[in-house]
Amino acid sequence: MTQGQQTESTPLVDPACYAAATAAIRAEAVRLLEAGEVTAVVGYRAGRRAGSAMPEVATTAEAAAQLIFTPGCQNNLALFLSKAKREALPKGKVAVVVKGCDLRALAGLIGESQLKRDEVHVIGVACPGVYGAGADLAKPLAAESLARKCRECKVHLPEGTDVVAGTLPPLPDLAPLEAEELARLEAMTPQERWAFWTEQFARCIRCLACRQVCPFCFCTQCLCDRNRPQAVDTSPRPAGNTAWHIVRAMHLAGRCAGCAECERVCPMDIPLNLLNRKMAQELFELYGFETTMQPQEQGALTSYRDGDDQSFIK
Amino acid sequence: MTATATTTKHDFEPKLVAFVCTWCTYAGADLAGTSRMQYPSNVRVVKFPCTGRIDPVFILRAFQKGADGVLVSGCHPGDCHYMAGNFHARRRFAAFRQLLDFVGVDLKRLQFSWVSAAEGGKWVEVVTELTERVREMGPMREFIDLDASEHWSAELADAELKAAYHSL
Repeated sequence: MTQGQQTESTPLVDPACYAAATAAIRAEAVRLLEAGEVTAVVGYRAGRRAGSAMPEVATTAEAAAQLIFTPGCQNNLALFLSKAKREALPKGKVAVVVKGCDLRALAGLIGESQLKRDEVHVIGVACPGVYGAGADLAKPLAAESLARKCRECKVHLPEGTDVVAGTLPPLPDLAPLEAEELARLEAMTPQERWAFWTEQFARCIRCLACRQVCPFCFCTQCLCDRNRPQAVDTSPRPAGNTAWHIVRAMHLAGRCAGCAECERVCPMDIPLNLLNRKMAQELFELYGFETTMQPQEQGALTSYRDGDDQSFIK
Repeated sequence: MTATATTTKHDFEPKLVAFVCTWCTYAGADLAGTSRMQYPSNVRVVKFPCTGRIDPVFILRAFQKGADGVLVSGCHPGDCHYMAGNFHARRRFAAFRQLLDFVGVDLKRLQFSWVSAAEGGKWVEVVTELTERVREMGPMREFIDLDASEHWSAELADAELKAAYHSL
């Protein structure tokens, strides 16, 4: 790699749009807490490293005035709203800051009766995109440091929220890297795909960060932690890893909101969102099902029609 | 032994696991038995209350534990004892098939079928066809190889590591 190619790339959008979103979030959060409409606002505050951000549960107006929205705000805060994890939040109505992809997760949780829509005040953010894993947070957001999911995001602007913070600047058209990678894998023979995934899964250390960070992995006891009967080997070896990732993708099929948090937190850089994308694509082709920003009564695999395809069944 | 009852010797006898629902396919297989129909003994039948109870993880586990082929069979649509179990199973397995295919498993080793309690003949047909197909394909190596392979994050660069690896 030559030095010449490493020059700073042009910022993707005007940083002012993040500042505007930050101001709007702060104003709304302070207003909500001062009026006593909510007991807490789940948002982001600046992390210790420059450019980074971390989740914050603001319960006072002072804390709410410190909330931010920057390209470092990668976390999906809908995670905190499943029944099991809501115990970490103060009781009563809470407000949550969500990007478009997070809103899909929130809608999914509402659809699965994890919470009711009126138990949460949703602060949507017009989000031009966030950093991908391993991006240099000190530099402004550029096409290279943009998360892969954001390159082909269809939900920059959240819909159906109580408020929308910020406005969306014009965004450049970027090559859909993830869709291209998916198409590349689909064009392979099964043996090549097996070799590809075996290599990916062999790296897995079973830290289960992908599970912990997923808003939809809210089971109080995970099937993969049980040993009577043991469905999936728990040691970080290739056989159990493969089984774990297949089971994970299967359990998220028709539910995954595509926030790609699993892929971001993976310390071994396994392209987990490819599996999620593949399942979403198949369920759309088979049943016309898509995850949306509005809660849906039924998921793809919790409903059926008489005329569903059964050409594969003898 | 009479001349007509000669048995064919095969080099490879595949292990098949059949996950069946108790109300239709199990009864169908039973009918095949009581009707004295002949079919390959390669299949091991595991009985479930309903195809809706058959978790994709069972199929995975079967492959991991050495099955060369898996058959999942239940009631025809509309005949489910629990009204909708097989409709849900149909969607789930349609999705699971695609996932397995994406990961690189040959779908010819996985067969789904509807066999009613009256279809002893169809059961024989389905089992025979899958057995012969899997026999031609040979043993399922993928999951067994995974089970046998170790997790090595290090490059086998020096002699000591190499010796340790090969002594396993």
